[in-house]
Amino acid sequence: MERNQANKSRPRSMRLSNLHIPSHILMLVWMLVVLIPVYLLVANALKTKRGMYDNPFGLPNPLTFDNFQSVIQDGNFFSYFGNSLFVVGVSLFAILLLGSLAGYGLAHWRGKTSRGIYFGFVFGMMLPIKIATIRLMELMKGFGLFNNLWSLILVYIAMGLPIAVFILTEFIRGLPRDLYEAAHIDGARQHKIYGSIVLPLIKPALATVGIYNLVPIWNDLWFPLIFITQDDKKTVLLAVTRLQGQYATDWPRVFALLTLSALPVIALYLAMSKQFVTGLTAGAVKG
Amino acid sequence: MRKFTSKFTALLLAGMLLLGLLPLMAQAAEPVKLTMGSWRSDDVAQVSELMAKYKEMTGVEIVFEPTVPNQYNPTLELQLKNGTGPDLMYARSYAVGQKLYEAGYFMPLDDVAGLEANFPAAALDGWRAADGKMFAVPYAAVSQITYYNKGMFAENGWEVPKTFEELLTLAQAIKDKGIEPFANGIASDWDILECVFLGMLPNYVGGIDERAKYEAGEKKMNDEAFLKALTDYAALTKFFPDGFESIGNEDGPALLGLGRAAMFIDGSWTVGMFNEYEDLDVGYFAIPAPEGNTPGLCFHTDMGIAGNTATKHPEEVKAFLSWLATPEGANTAASYLPGGFYPMINNPAELTDEKAKEIQALGEGKVLDSRFIWSKLVDMYTVMVDQLNLIARGETTPEAAAEVFAAEQAKALGQ
Amino acid sequence: MQKTARQPRLSASRINQGGGYWIWYVLPALIVYIMFMAYPMLDSVRLSLYDGTTGEFAGFANYVTLFTDPDTAARFWGAFGNTWVFFAYHMLVQNMLGMLFAVILTNRTMRGRGFYQTIIFIPVTIAVMVTGYLFKLLLNPSFARYALQDMGLGALARPWLGKEETALHVVSLVSVWQWVGIPTMMFVAGLQGISEDLMEAADIAGANSWQTFWYIKLPLVMPVVGMIAILTFVNNFNAFDIIYSMTGPKGQPNYSTDLIGSLFYRVGVVGDHPISNPNPGLGAAISTSVFLMLLAGVIPTLRATQSKE
Repeated sequence: MERNQANKSRPRSMRLSNLHIPSHILMLVWMLVVLIPVYLLVANALKTKRGMYDNPFGLPNPLTFDNFQSVIQDGNFFSYFGNSLFVVGVSLFAILLLGSLAGYGLAHWRGKTSRGIYFGFVFGMMLPIKIATIRLMELMKGFGLFNNLWSLILVYIAMGLPIAVFILTEFIRGLPRDLYEAAHIDGARQHKIYGSIVLPLIKPALATVGIYNLVPIWNDLWFPLIFITQDDKKTVLLAVTRLQGQYATDWPRVFALLTLSALPVIALYLAMSKQFVTGLTAGAVKG
Repeated sequence: MRKFTSKFTALLLAGMLLLGLLPLMAQAAEPVKLTMGSWRSDDVAQVSELMAKYKEMTGVEIVFEPTVPNQYNPTLELQLKNGTGPDLMYARSYAVGQKLYEAGYFMPLDDVAGLEANFPAAALDGWRAADGKMFAVPYAAVSQITYYNKGMFAENGWEVPKTFEELLTLAQAIKDKGIEPFANGIASDWDILECVFLGMLPNYVGGIDERAKYEAGEKKMNDEAFLKALTDYAALTKFFPDGFESIGNEDGPALLGLGRAAMFIDGSWTVGMFNEYEDLDVGYFAIPAPEGNTPGLCFHTDMGIAGNTATKHPEEVKAFLSWLATPEGANTAASYLPGGFYPMINNPAELTDEKAKEIQALGEGKVLDSRFIWSKLVDMYTVMVDQLNLIARGETTPEAAAEVFAAEQAKALGQ
Repeated sequence: MQKTARQPRLSASRINQGGGYWIWYVLPALIVYIMFMAYPMLDSVRLSLYDGTTGEFAGFANYVTLFTDPDTAARFWGAFGNTWVFFAYHMLVQNMLGMLFAVILTNRTMRGRGFYQTIIFIPVTIAVMVTGYLFKLLLNPSFARYALQDMGLGALARPWLGKEETALHVVSLVSVWQWVGIPTMMFVAGLQGISEDLMEAADIAGANSWQTFWYIKLPLVMPVVGMIAILTFVNNFNAFDIIYSMTGPKGQPNYSTDLIGSLFYRVGVVGDHPISNPNPGLGAAISTSVFLMLLAGVIPTLRATQSKE
């Protein structure tokens, strides 16, 4: 509105509107909305029971690490995290690899069969895989994969592929065609085009797919509950629900338990957030 | 020469195969390790101690692998269906357990010596299938009672109520003091039925013989007794704390322990939860009967232990169950039970926990029965808990709820 | 993955090779997908035509029960309506906030963009179960009633999750809190793809920021909008963990937060507590019905927003 001729001639950075005061206010408010619950989570995990009820919002006083200590004693957290990381890591790698190959294929392959396969994948996003529980159990039993982390990984790959194929096919279709033409003129082989041209260009889409799948896989409780009974194969969330039931009457200990399951991931995310944000935004594709 | 080579190769291969099998054979010779499923995730420490003791005696290791209560039944069933269930497992009494026996997952225990003789009929009843066979060894019973803050009562000159009417008067007096009379809420969606309403019910409908009349459809669940029970329940809920809609069963001990509420109706299994509140001197009384009614108490046969028909070690499983059915085994197991769980064996050894003993004494001279709906009417569970929630919220009346109960009773009995 | 020997020689004209070639790229994903998802699921859809307890073929009996038995139908339509409310919160609050955040975060003259973006995304990294349990505790009036009363804010210590009027809204907002980072991130990626020249041109033409957004940015990120709408739709119709952890599998209070996801879990997977009498046939009928409804919603959205080939 206030842009007049004089304004326009000045460099962008010098305008008052570039201070973005309303934007900063909004962002700071949202920051509080995000951080206050996280603060309450961690702070109350460090309080005694009475300390929490007397002073739920303040800093821990007296400060105690007993809650963490008892949670760590009751559960083998290193093993739970190791299992979860293994399952998430292998599943994501496979989803991205298989999903991008399929997306690349489907984006170029025009025809009824291709459309059919594409929609076959997309439909998979719409059904809760839980309805297949009984059949999946029979399948895993057949493969002898009970109490084996691979039972989870196979289901998660299958669960993640629809979204991967959906997003990656769309993205690859959106890539400018002359890109391939140029590569072909250079005599590059198809799988080389996939590896050296397409993959780097679809990085943001890969990141999106990765995060979109990371979340449900990391969050899944149902399949571990059914496939895994051995303690040394348990995932973090499986352990959390059991201990949460066990501690239900002891809130600070529940807070400590929740902190132990959430904080390492938040810390990992914060440590990598720079790469994460640049990875997400670098070389974004035109919509 | 060629023949010799091929023979030699075959021999070599056979040898290698044998070597490959050796670890498996060695494994078979290892001490037996059984797993035990349970919904008591709170009891890991106690049960593990018991199992350590059992291993000392027999060399058989039993690993306790509990699941959270609300996941136990569905996951257990799925595991059993796929042959991956634990070797031993806690079995719910009555209909819930019977269903798994009828599906062929639980071993029939008719050959366990002494099982029939060592337990009272009422205890055995909980785990007896339609074909007359036992499918689990009775392990522990529980009761539903009122906990109260003794110190607070003494300070204010309040006395333990003898009738339900006195309880309501007392609750009003407590409320007038600015203290929440009860620590009960409805957010957990089970204790309002299992602890509060079914805890009250023996005071209104009587014991096992009377229950049978409802189960046969001779009496309807909208009769005078039920209506009175629902009306009294509705009156009780008026004294639930502010915000009771969001308060769950797990919040009760804290509200009582921190002196914010004076009483809490809950299961005997909660007794250990109050230990961590040093200022609290907790007392117990049975939920009182209304004036003129015979006092009763819900003494519920809760946990049995069953064996998996698909186990790889049937002998060891049977041996454990047989041991548990002897007076010696049952009493040893009972000594490791957390407070508030009672052995059901005939002439049990005296309990060592003073508090648990005090709670047990509440049943003396009263009509005892298991939870009203557990045997034949368990299909009514959801409808009942929903109606009780609505009454507490003031969204339905005891009369209307009684009608819903009666209709559902007819449905459950196929009438 | 690919056997090099199988690949025909390439030339510029080979970009449009037929299925005989491209199938090799698709096959590995297809095999895993069919084996561990499509087949078990289709086979389970078949289940909707079988009786849940006897396992005998029952035709459309489950569908008839679902839509005509008064109790079952009431639960189904109740959960269906609640799911729409839950979805509306995500579309209107979460996705609009996401768009707003993304516009702010892609403004090149705004400082601290990376920092804010990092913060917005934090809740996504927390497991839904953990978020649910956390907010269940924080929203319980017994957590902070006395502290809030001392601060004169006693009115805040209400049983938010215990009242039918508020529970669904609160649960939806907690879910929005958790997920807003996802659309934000996707919009940021989309908006950053818009060429700088175009923005300069708009600037010179004297377009204000609203006009720039409405006439340039929004149309250009329409495919992203469509993609987000579909993902939101699909995820919300399958949402379960947040209900399970905040208001329990029955969607308390009085089924007011019961979603299709929790209804399916109760009916098809675990059954009623404590008897545990799941009815896989009826459960499959629920998810099949919902699947058909989703399809009816997703296909037009895809048509409207995705670029034609």
